[in-house]
Amino acid sequence: MAERSTLKLWLMRAFFVSLCAALMFWRLLPLNTLPDGLAGPDLMVALAFAWVLRRPEYAPPLLVALIFLVADLLFQRPPGLWAALVVMGCEALKTRAPGLRDMGFLPEWLSAAATMTAIWLLFRIVLGLLFVPQAPLGLSLMQLAFTILVYPVIVLISSALFGVRKIRPGDAESLGVRI
Amino acid sequence: MARDRAQGNEYKGPLRRLLLGILIVCLLGVFLLWRVDSPRVERFRAQVVDRVVPNFDWAMAPVTGTINIARDFQSYQRIYQQNQELRRELQQMKAWKEAALQLEQENARLLDLNNVRLDPRLTYVTGVVMADSGSPFRQSVIVNIGLRDGIVDGWAAMDGLGLVGRISGVGENTSRVILLTDTSSRIPVTIQPSGQRALIVGDNTSAPPIDFLEDKAQVRPGDRVITSGDGGIFPAGLLAGQVALDPGGRFRLRLAADYERLEFLRVLREYGRPGIDTPGSLIAPPEGTPAPAQSGSRPATVTGEATNG
Repeated sequence: MAERSTLKLWLMRAFFVSLCAALMFWRLLPLNTLPDGLAGPDLMVALAFAWVLRRPEYAPPLLVALIFLVADLLFQRPPGLWAALVVMGCEALKTRAPGLRDMGFLPEWLSAAATMTAIWLLFRIVLGLLFVPQAPLGLSLMQLAFTILVYPVIVLISSALFGVRKIRPGDAESLGVRI
Repeated sequence: MARDRAQGNEYKGPLRRLLLGILIVCLLGVFLLWRVDSPRVERFRAQVVDRVVPNFDWAMAPVTGTINIARDFQSYQRIYQQNQELRRELQQMKAWKEAALQLEQENARLLDLNNVRLDPRLTYVTGVVMADSGSPFRQSVIVNIGLRDGIVDGWAAMDGLGLVGRISGVGENTSRVILLTDTSSRIPVTIQPSGQRALIVGDNTSAPPIDFLEDKAQVRPGDRVITSGDGGIFPAGLLAGQVALDPGGRFRLRLAADYERLEFLRVLREYGRPGIDTPGSLIAPPEGTPAPAQSGSRPATVTGEATNG
């Protein structure tokens, strides 16, 4: 029993990595080389937050940090800062997760949105303090808004298709694992 | 009960918190290192891109191809309009073709008169666009040529017609081209026919503004914009596009390169120009020769420097 759940844990971690890889792949496709004043949602952040709130063991901090560091390097962001902020955001959500567990979706969405706003603002503030040239404010805000809006969709897909749901008292399966 | 135990182990372990702190400090350390010593980290980034992106390539080409086919299929719905437009354009093109033929003959004659030797070192390497920047805030593409092909940072990239961008970040097999539309792109240009110098300042729009113009009255929409070669950044005379006037009264550059379909890019090889280090010898006459008479006749020593006027 324990071995099976260990196997499942590692499978889900691998699945998380491959989902993020697929998202990076999609964004790197050379489809649109013309700048169009639109910034789509940062799906990877929404995915990480949704999974961390449901099954933190599927998205451990080290994994999140590595994935976002690679994303930073590939997407020409200042390397490390965004990854650190996402890891901090995940941890902040994790500490709030027990309180949110029984409250339904709306409070969870609000706290995820608050965390996203916080890391977006911190990102801009740190870059501003260190005089790093940054993206236009409008585009950043648009990306933040789209990410908050897309969060319920990511949650729905994660729980309905990938089976990443909150632990209920009846789920004995996931409790045997401690890594 | 079970939940409490999970929480207790998961969130209150001091060791775990310590490790988490170390992780975050490491990430911020990478960021600070990048801020302090950017070129080294950027070189590392180029190596990471070089390692990662070619792995995606087997899937990227077919997916991009499929999506482009789907887009082309959508455009068949407008085929009648397109046909009309194409006919109209063909008419205009015929007129231009006549003009071009005449100009070509004239140019050939003038070149012959001048006995101009075009720079034989201005050759190019052509690469295929593999990926874009993946971010709405940065405008760049990754091409599949790199150190292996002798690419050097700073070379110009063009499509068949116009300037596209500048090499910045070279890996073994890939290199990144910062497009003219990127916010960090600054290219010195000359506006023809008035000869005004200006800078093309990328601002994340599809028509970058033309800045630092000396005299705006001499520039008109439709004027050609070519690189000036100032600062040794690019070879002079590469076509960048045409001047356009935006509703706010600001001059912008309508790019000559087809940014909607960047597929193949030529990277021009340029090995720099010889610098001029000794200011005196150019101005002063060589010692021992008498100063030229004040009659106004030019010395005959400048005939070797024919320009391609």
